[in-house]
Amino acid sequence: MQFYISILTFTLISVIAVTGIYVLTGLTGMFSLGQAAFMAIGAYVSGFLVVKAGVPFVLAAIIAVVISVIVGYIVGLPTVRLRRDYISLVTLGFGEAITALLNQTQSITGGALGVSGIPKITTLTLALISAIVCIVLVSYLKNSKYGRQCIAARSDELAAKAMGINVPRIKMTAFLIAVAVTSYAGVLYAFFTTYVDPGIFGWKKSAEWVIMVFFGGVNSLTGSIIGTIILTGLPEVLRFAADYRTVFYAVLVLLIINFKPTGLFGEYELSVGNLFKRLSGKKEERSNA
Amino acid sequence: MKKFLAIFLAVLMIVGMTACGSSQPEAESPSETPQQEETAPEGDIVIGVLQDITGVTSTLGKMVQEGAQWAADEINAAGGINGRKVKLVTYDTKADVQEAINAYNRMTTTDKVSAIIGPPVANIAIAIAPISEQYNVPVLHFAIDDRATIKDDGTPYKNMFLFQPSAKQQGAIMGKFAVEEQGLKKFGIIYNQSNAYSVSLLEPFKNTVESLGAKVVAEVPYQPNDKDFKTMLNKLVSAGAEAIYAPNYTQELILIVQQARAIGFDGRLICGLDACPPFPTLCGPEADGVIYINNITETEPQIQGIIEAYKQKTGNDATNKFFLGYDVMKILAKIIEEVGDDPVAIRDAIENLSGFQGLTGNITIDPNTHQTKGLEMVMHEIQNQAPVMLKRYSAEQ
Amino acid sequence: MSIQIIINGLAVGSVYALIATGFSLIFNILKFSNFSHGALMTLSAFIGYFFAVKTGSSLIPVIIVSMLAGGLVAYIGEFVAFRKITLRSTSPVYYFVSSITLGTLYEGIVTIWVGPNFYNYPRFFQSMVVNIGGFVISKPDLIMFISSCLALALLVIFIQKTRLGRALRSVSFDRDTAGLMGINVFGIIQLAFFISGALAGLSGVFLGINYTLYPQLGNLVVKGFIASVIGGLGSIFGAVVGAILLGLTETLLINFVGSGYAPVFSFLIMLAFLLIRPQGIAGSNVQEKA
Repeated sequence: MQFYISILTFTLISVIAVTGIYVLTGLTGMFSLGQAAFMAIGAYVSGFLVVKAGVPFVLAAIIAVVISVIVGYIVGLPTVRLRRDYISLVTLGFGEAITALLNQTQSITGGALGVSGIPKITTLTLALISAIVCIVLVSYLKNSKYGRQCIAARSDELAAKAMGINVPRIKMTAFLIAVAVTSYAGVLYAFFTTYVDPGIFGWKKSAEWVIMVFFGGVNSLTGSIIGTIILTGLPEVLRFAADYRTVFYAVLVLLIINFKPTGLFGEYELSVGNLFKRLSGKKEERSNA
Repeated sequence: MKKFLAIFLAVLMIVGMTACGSSQPEAESPSETPQQEETAPEGDIVIGVLQDITGVTSTLGKMVQEGAQWAADEINAAGGINGRKVKLVTYDTKADVQEAINAYNRMTTTDKVSAIIGPPVANIAIAIAPISEQYNVPVLHFAIDDRATIKDDGTPYKNMFLFQPSAKQQGAIMGKFAVEEQGLKKFGIIYNQSNAYSVSLLEPFKNTVESLGAKVVAEVPYQPNDKDFKTMLNKLVSAGAEAIYAPNYTQELILIVQQARAIGFDGRLICGLDACPPFPTLCGPEADGVIYINNITETEPQIQGIIEAYKQKTGNDATNKFFLGYDVMKILAKIIEEVGDDPVAIRDAIENLSGFQGLTGNITIDPNTHQTKGLEMVMHEIQNQAPVMLKRYSAEQ
Repeated sequence: MSIQIIINGLAVGSVYALIATGFSLIFNILKFSNFSHGALMTLSAFIGYFFAVKTGSSLIPVIIVSMLAGGLVAYIGEFVAFRKITLRSTSPVYYFVSSITLGTLYEGIVTIWVGPNFYNYPRFFQSMVVNIGGFVISKPDLIMFISSCLALALLVIFIQKTRLGRALRSVSFDRDTAGLMGINVFGIIQLAFFISGALAGLSGVFLGINYTLYPQLGNLVVKGFIASVIGGLGSIFGAVVGAILLGLTETLLINFVGSGYAPVFSFLIMLAFLLIRPQGIAGSNVQEKA
């Protein structure tokens, strides 16, 4: 039982990170291969503060997120103005730079050996509540004016600009939101595994998250969430298949991308109104038929 | 309708997977047996094996597992322990700490193993050490970095036990040999900064050579993904190093040794455990002249016998890790024979283990450090791509 | 001493250049970053390895086998992972996502096939180094440098001077119009993948010789990606130059600030470069819109 709880918690943490990525990549169309670095910053700063400096958890978490956002702002300033492919490149480089920095600064961060002995504060409840909060926030964002502006900017930057949308500012805000959420996920992660080291936060991880968003459906928050659950939970459940599970995972994603490029969920969003409509819609269908 | 179908399928998939997952929790291990807690007293003795079976350090982990399995097979063929068979449940950590932590939790809670044969990989052992405090299952591992066995305050983790000489001991032996036997005075060091094993071998070596009057002229760290060491090696050479100390994993070591020779460095290369076979054959002629440390020496008769038998059976060569796994399994067998399969009793017995004659030497555990006392290591040189024993050392504290 | 460093840098650069030629071909023709290129290199390298071990051949046959294998797998890969996307004309972003997954697939297949160990190519050369004027150059590096230049030259000639090359260029410029003009667009795309795959096979073999063979060898594709972007969209020549510069910069950085801080400085340099010269070294300034 303990085992399944831990998998579930871990999946929820990924979900939180992906909601951030959703805002960045799904809504605003920016491809960042370095988001995992912000997770690292969140994890390290909070872990370090609590273990080495004895700061209470909540305060450490807040400080960690704030610092991540500041770093994100500095990185974002030049980055968001760049073209689409360049954004991937620069964020990738940034991710690698952060990993290198973490490896180097051994006296503070313990270098490659990481920070261990972090108290286990993240429980299933905390992860669940955080996940729900993030999902609600992001879904609210998506349906708000801001969200629509993001989608406009993603679809056609020039036209969006012509309509008076301040595109650079939108992009920066999206970037910062993603940074904040991802670093919070990092905090939860550190206090869940009780150990962080720089190796887990590379570009491959960032790429994995982007894939999860696409898998679930770029236009659908529900899709990204369910996609994350599937793609994070799958490797765990398939552990018995050992190496074959990577192949299985890859084949699954390839199938979806190729045959249903809008993702598993397409445009569909799970919401109370939608559910209601669906149920009453079906009733209508049946009565009409 | 299509959308509803999509959701329905997705939900079904998840439910199905969870159902699958929960109905075969032990299915990942190659030697699988669903463990029911109810078959306790007359059932098999379950020992967990937590190793890298895949991933970059898999050559090490797989060998430990094979060694332990070989020993378990021998024990079972001789009638088992008090009539009960030994069952090894292996989890692959995939050189990933997260996986290892999950697997470890699983072993101690779901599988209820009596003891765990742990990894030689320091990064993983260090991560597991704090978690091991919550459980009562002893972990017999080979990670030489002190932090895998001893807490910051100097007391040992209650469940972690190291079964080969620690980094302090190994580094000291290598240093001593280099200065006293080889007469080397100026050392350059190249090491993997993100590898706990590499890093832990630095200080003891440096301290030893410096206390014996030699000097470390340059130290160059590298990162895990670096493949081109020529520039770094050049730095060591131009700083005047007559010998290069390279306590690194086999894969990088091959490149380091080849590239060192390629840039024209003719001096001695001093390496850790990883230069043992199969390194010489993998590396090729450049490996000649490399000096390294090992737990065993292949020419000893009792080891020879097993090496040949293993080679006959599987076609592979048994490495030092094989014998470490073998010894540890035999130690567990002896202890379980005496105190039964209760993990807590086993743990206490391990803490007081004294004078066990294993293939890797005479093993005694120091209760204050949970590390070995006076276990031997042997210095070798590679000649014609084969190891030649040079000198035997007993690990001082 | 510093000349030796520069030689080292060029050597590293030529490794990257070889990766970049294959990578940038797809980057320019289909306008996306083919992240499966790396894993393809690994796959074909391993095929070459097993061929070498089974038949004990020397370097050239192994290279040829590797290149053929690479081209073939890329050809199949295109059909499996990219064809549908081309058909639907959905946003190029999907190519990217699909390619990363395809790369994971290749890597997974390689891992299952060869197991966790790492392998080393059998000795192809008697001595590994040549001594030129007091400087030590390793033979594989030299051969890599020469073959990158050769591959580049051949590729450029092919693209600029031959009919097929012209077709390639027109497909990269405007796929639909090219199709309307009677060019077999899918055939051209397949050809591009085949060539890119063959180049992957070539790089794979040399990477294997230089760095030993292991399933994660493909991670080096990132260097090809960086080189192609710095080199500029639309120019394979730029990608190669970018790769060599990247190698040089990395080596110099490692020498002066140590390999720990090198990625940090690389990042800053790259950022500055892209801000100052967005079209890259030799690329044309392709606006995303208007």
